[in-house]
Amino acid sequence: MGTQYSGVRESKPGRLNDLGIQSKEAEAQFKKGCLKRADRSFSQGLQCQQINSMACLMSLEDSVFVSHSPQGCVGCAIMAIDMFRVGQAHRGEKIIKNPRIIVTNLDQKSVVFGGEQKLKESVRKAVERYNPKLIFVYASCASGIIGDDIDSICANLETEFSGTTIIPIHCEGFKSKICASGFDAAFLSINKYILKKKKLPSIPNLVNLFAPTTVSYADQKEMERMLKSIGAEANYIPFYSSLEKIKRIPQAVASTSICKVFADEFMKTLEEDYGIPYSHTVMPIGIRNTDKWFRGIAKILGKEAEVEKIIAEEHKRIEPLVAKIRSRLEGKRVFICGGTGRSFAAAALIDDFGMRLVGLETPTYDEDAQIDVEYLNTIHKDFIIDVANMQPFEQVNLVKKLKPDAFIGVPDWAAKLGIPTTHVLDGKRPTMGYDGLLYLGNKIADQLSNPGFNKKLAAHVKLPYRDSWYEENPFKYIVGV
Amino acid sequence: MSFVTENPRGGCVLSGINSVLAAIDRVCPILHSGPGCCMQTTAAEQGQSGHKHACFVSGVSLPSSNMLEKEVVFGGVDKLRTTIQGAIDIIDASSYFVLTGCTAGIIGDDIVSVTEEFRQKGHNVYSIETPGFAGDSNLGYEAVWNTFIDKIIQPAKKKDSALVNIFGIIPYHDPFWAGTLEEIERILSLLGLKVNTFFTKHQGIDVIEHCSEAALNIIINPWIFKEPAKKFEEKFKVPSIRFPFAPIGATDTSNFLRQVASALNLSNELAEKVIAQEEDYVYSYLAQSIGVLSWKRFAVAGDASSAIAITRYLANDYSFSPVLVVITEPVFRPEDKERIIQNITQLEYAPPPKIVFASDQWEINKAIREEPEEITLLVGSANEKEVALEKDIQFLNGTFPMNERLVFNRTYCGYRGSLTFTEDLYDNL
Repeated sequence: MGTQYSGVRESKPGRLNDLGIQSKEAEAQFKKGCLKRADRSFSQGLQCQQINSMACLMSLEDSVFVSHSPQGCVGCAIMAIDMFRVGQAHRGEKIIKNPRIIVTNLDQKSVVFGGEQKLKESVRKAVERYNPKLIFVYASCASGIIGDDIDSICANLETEFSGTTIIPIHCEGFKSKICASGFDAAFLSINKYILKKKKLPSIPNLVNLFAPTTVSYADQKEMERMLKSIGAEANYIPFYSSLEKIKRIPQAVASTSICKVFADEFMKTLEEDYGIPYSHTVMPIGIRNTDKWFRGIAKILGKEAEVEKIIAEEHKRIEPLVAKIRSRLEGKRVFICGGTGRSFAAAALIDDFGMRLVGLETPTYDEDAQIDVEYLNTIHKDFIIDVANMQPFEQVNLVKKLKPDAFIGVPDWAAKLGIPTTHVLDGKRPTMGYDGLLYLGNKIADQLSNPGFNKKLAAHVKLPYRDSWYEENPFKYIVGV
Repeated sequence: MSFVTENPRGGCVLSGINSVLAAIDRVCPILHSGPGCCMQTTAAEQGQSGHKHACFVSGVSLPSSNMLEKEVVFGGVDKLRTTIQGAIDIIDASSYFVLTGCTAGIIGDDIVSVTEEFRQKGHNVYSIETPGFAGDSNLGYEAVWNTFIDKIIQPAKKKDSALVNIFGIIPYHDPFWAGTLEEIERILSLLGLKVNTFFTKHQGIDVIEHCSEAALNIIINPWIFKEPAKKFEEKFKVPSIRFPFAPIGATDTSNFLRQVASALNLSNELAEKVIAQEEDYVYSYLAQSIGVLSWKRFAVAGDASSAIAITRYLANDYSFSPVLVVITEPVFRPEDKERIIQNITQLEYAPPPKIVFASDQWEINKAIREEPEEITLLVGSANEKEVALEKDIQFLNGTFPMNERLVFNRTYCGYRGSLTFTEDLYDNL
């Protein structure tokens, strides 16, 4: 291994974030190494990596989250807070807790004189109030630019508060265009400050199952059920877990993740530092992807024969039900927009229902994406790929031109164009595994056969774009760097 | 000045500015900021305000320069220039406001010159140079109005003695803002007034340009808008009155109407006729369910305006017993604190409740948890649900942040809103 991975996803060669291209062309150009990095001269907002760093740890027990930032940088925490509250309710908790988030509230004075005092005060309050096992300290654009050295401040504070591990996380927003970098930043720190490359005796059959906040409790149970069926015990982390569970990470015999861009880099690190093999395949949404995900982890565990038996049984159970949905969806044209994991997973999923992909929006194109695109090119005709983190202006332009029968993804904009929409990121209800497929399939089919809301909405509400924009090339603002 | 805060309510000043602008029809904010500020600022205010977002542009629809390492080191004005041009080309807005994130604020990008270039080409592009670290979202409301007073509002060519402007109800920072403004307009229109609410009925920048024609500025808030009101009066000769909270129920809403009528020298007879008619409406409903809500000893946690209004309605009009009121936004001026205390403690019959000023969630929880008097009802934000569950008492999410419910035009304000509030307090347990 060369230099230590920085946690910034752009640092990987061949990974790009700004591209508009036909899928066949993308496959061919990537193979030749001809896809070039670009930028957008006009763009809409992105999601910063700090949002992801916070969200992925927010449900940990015995933890306080200190955001070394002005007050606004915990705005998006509300999404993870909401998930955390609902997740507790689903898990039968009677007293639904708030996550403990303390913002240092950097202000004009801190910008001039540094924010060290505010950070110290925040950590002190965290200890006095909750005596937590873990305190995570998140950097921000502001703390990074003014040059606060959070590593040494945390190290100093830890000597003052023994019993609490104080973990700095370098998730400064300006460092990356790819919000998934924030996951990596969090895991890098977990390895550095908690696991510390210390090897521990392994626990037979224990499997690290990495899950981001957007995975519902129903999905957690489905994933755990599947692993149990091949004799594995899931160490479900870091969502709804604890320091104890994190400490068990090095004791697992294998690792896998529910999301493609969640802990993928960390699982490589776990192999390098602790010798734990891992399976990195796809997101288990739909029959093909669930099979693939399941086979991937079974292979690592040496359970190939067992998993084939289970897969056959599951297929027997699920296929007649899928056929019913298929009869409602066959041949329908679909546009998909999602995060890296979900967009490709959804693209494979629609094949189970015989739907046709016409457009795909995904945040990054890299080696991993290439594998998915190669596969999708064998089952769908040439489709358009918009490598974009949302950028709704490009999306509406494409959707209006392509006129798909159905849209899968964040529904806000396509709905206003009157297209039936289904959200594939439903962190409160099932979407994963074999049963998740049925839930999603029925949802898509019902939306398609009963599209009244979106149609009427479109008749009353106009998107903010000029009519002339829809005549333009959707990729007009993508320029070389 | 800002303090270390646990579970803060709402975002930074940039969040406030963004959400206030987003509530004006066809106004497009452009963020010159880091890559996450669009989502963060929108989520901090709109995302915690009953699950509705500005329809025109919000969140990841906001144009943004997404400043990365390169812009931090070399400056971001070139990126800003192409971002503004793109926004003008594709977004069908009547005006564009360039807002400053922490990154742009710290490195000192000259956004004024860039916006000036576009204005000289005839585009309505303005700058608001208040970076995120300059304060919290309440300040954002004032920052927007200060900008409007300086750059947008035109001197009145003619005055309209029946026109009033409403200030102090902050879009999205108050989850009930839309319904509240609609109820205030409804009530005032009964006095024959025309009302600029600025944020409902698709009111756009043109309404703001001409709001100097009004006869009176009505500020409905205990402390916000002091300086802008002064500036407004000096520049456009529009006087203002302050009603220190968005009134709930017959008593306070009638007081509000009388004050407005008196400030505008309207006929007393008309005001009393409207009041009689509206109070009759309220009581004809209240009379239909006597004793359905059991007697409560209540606590309120929320922004000052909501806390005052809720306490006064429940104590004065509904004969519940006030125990504790926690004011959750930072209030700095002693005169403002005094005004808040006065309005909460000067009740008709009930003994005054204890008042605590605390913005930090741990301190808020502590005040409620350690209150020695019995509390059987807590009206608060989503953040107080935890302590309500702990104490096993009735809880209503009636203040910001509000994640426990979907809110469109619901309000607790005014005559009609008080009925909605009372309905929401029903709990058959």
